[in-house]
Amino acid sequence: MRPRSHFLAFLLCALMLPSIAVVLVAVVGMASQESAMEAAVSSYVQDLAESMSYHLSSDADIWTFQILSDFSRFPFFSWGPSIPGWVALISQEGKVIASSPGAMNIAAIWKPDFEVGKAVKVEDRQGAQYTIAVYPVKRPSGGYVVTAVSWSQLLGGLVGVVRIWPALIVMIALSSFFAIRLLWSRLVIPLQSLVSEIDNMTLGKDVPDMIEEGAVKEIKSVQSALSRYAQAAVDRDDLRNRYVRDIVQAQERERMDMAREIHDGPLQDVTALLQQIHMTLEDDDVNDNARIRKTESIAKSVVRELRALCDELAPPWMDLGFSEALTELTERLSQAYDVQVSADFDDDIRVIDIENEKILSLLRIIQEAVSNAVRHGGADEVHISVSRNDDDVLTLEISDNGSGFDSGHINHETLRVEGHRGLASMTERMSLMGGTLRIDSKIGEGTTITASFKL
Amino acid sequence: MTVKILLADDHPLTRSGIAEFVKREETFELVAEAEDGAKAWELIQELKPDVALLDIRMPGIDGVTVAQKVKNEGLNTAIVMLTSYDAQQYVIASLRAGARGFVLKTVSPKELTTAINTVAKGGLYLDPEVASVMGEQDFIPEQLSVREREVLLLAAKGLSSKEVARRLFISERTVQTHLASIYDKLGSRNKTEALLLALKYGVVTLEELLEDD
Repeated sequence: MRPRSHFLAFLLCALMLPSIAVVLVAVVGMASQESAMEAAVSSYVQDLAESMSYHLSSDADIWTFQILSDFSRFPFFSWGPSIPGWVALISQEGKVIASSPGAMNIAAIWKPDFEVGKAVKVEDRQGAQYTIAVYPVKRPSGGYVVTAVSWSQLLGGLVGVVRIWPALIVMIALSSFFAIRLLWSRLVIPLQSLVSEIDNMTLGKDVPDMIEEGAVKEIKSVQSALSRYAQAAVDRDDLRNRYVRDIVQAQERERMDMAREIHDGPLQDVTALLQQIHMTLEDDDVNDNARIRKTESIAKSVVRELRALCDELAPPWMDLGFSEALTELTERLSQAYDVQVSADFDDDIRVIDIENEKILSLLRIIQEAVSNAVRHGGADEVHISVSRNDDDVLTLEISDNGSGFDSGHINHETLRVEGHRGLASMTERMSLMGGTLRIDSKIGEGTTITASFKL
Repeated sequence: MTVKILLADDHPLTRSGIAEFVKREETFELVAEAEDGAKAWELIQELKPDVALLDIRMPGIDGVTVAQKVKNEGLNTAIVMLTSYDAQQYVIASLRAGARGFVLKTVSPKELTTAINTVAKGGLYLDPEVASVMGEQDFIPEQLSVREREVLLLAAKGLSSKEVARRLFISERTVQTHLASIYDKLGSRNKTEALLLALKYGVVTLEELLEDD
């Protein structure tokens, strides 16, 4: 998990850092442009005011007269539209002595506390920016030159650009946010879920679930390729399991056939032989009784061996039905191993109808479980309980008081490979019946084997 | 008085062997032989033998089913199961189906004669190989207590210890104690054997066993 989350963090940083850098540069750029513009406008206004004040101070008389008569006539004030800005000459008392066209606008942005000799930035009610400078006129009558300029007039489009900056920054921030979000939801999350699918997938057992709809096409194709791969593995495993099951089934059928052959053939023949020996023994004219007695006992033991062989291959008594066969088996096992094997089942189990093949599988599982419990676990008590639930699922539980083992990492495929064929074939028999087998064991706590299948 | 006997077994060699056993006894009359269950049932109805020796596994209808038919029809023929199987559950199944005798095909002529005579007189005969006390010839069982008989009969009906405990209003552990004591007294190793021995020694009767709840 670690290296992958590092990679994701790196990917996100690689995407986020440039966006953050652009936003920062934009903020700095905006601030410096603003201050550069302010400096330019201020110096312009100050220059204008200073030069006006200088001219008015040096040529006082002429200017006074002429200014007084018609200020506007002077070419000095007739820059007209070519030079932006307004100029006004006001007396010591605050009266406007002369002004350039449009200078009346100054009144709208006038504030009483302007500092003389300095440029000040103001805004009108509409938010338009201006810079005003007030300079004293050095002549006997005193007075001031007021100069003002509108930013938009002086700088034109630049002011608009400054206004656009914040919107641009917000846009960049928003778009990178959405880009990252999109990247996260369409790429990172689907990628993560794909990775965890792969992590949790048991090859040959499951096919990964479809991931979220929003995933990008490439991830979807990876995912469907993975699905195909997993499906192929599942199919291959199914096929292999079917082979194994076929082998188990074929083996079982062969054993049943063999048991029947032995029962109907050699067992009957030897029995007939024994009957003949019995009769020979009862005839009075037999001379060598001892030899015939020996032959009788050999024939008897052959019958017993053949019977035992039939029981081993496929006990004929399983024809009696499940509960009878279960009772017979537990009593036989109990005797064979000299341990206590008990079976418990409800009344409805006694009338249950199960096919012979399934009964045989269940008997084999019990045989194997008891044998394991006694031989490997050293158990002296094994309890078998059979129950049937409302969904017609029959559950066989075999628990022993043996030494137990660690059943934590049990996997019947590895068991088979490792040579523990007993446990593996129990599982295979159950899966052949469409059922399941669970093995629960802990060291020192005995073992419980739970087999269940639908009737 | 001669005992009329019917013999049914699908295996010709063993059938002829048993037939010879029967024919050797002067008091027995072998009235018919059958090679399958259906034929046996037909001949039983027709000839009404005193005793029918039936193989368990036969083509078509098996011996246990024939015994059940005889019981259901209320015929007077006593059934002896004659089989190669030594499973005790077969004995129980046969007795439930109404058979009064159970012998293995490896039986000696003398034993078979005893078996036929016993069932013909209304008695019960079980082959020593399926119901015997190990190593003891003249075993006399100890008397079972009333409670022990009850436990044995209920257990014989196939009830689990839990169910027996519930019906007798005692604990499961007590049931197990009773069972252990029963095994001890009868010299048996398990429930089924205990029941067979109890029947053999007359501790319980077949009628008691077959009684419905």
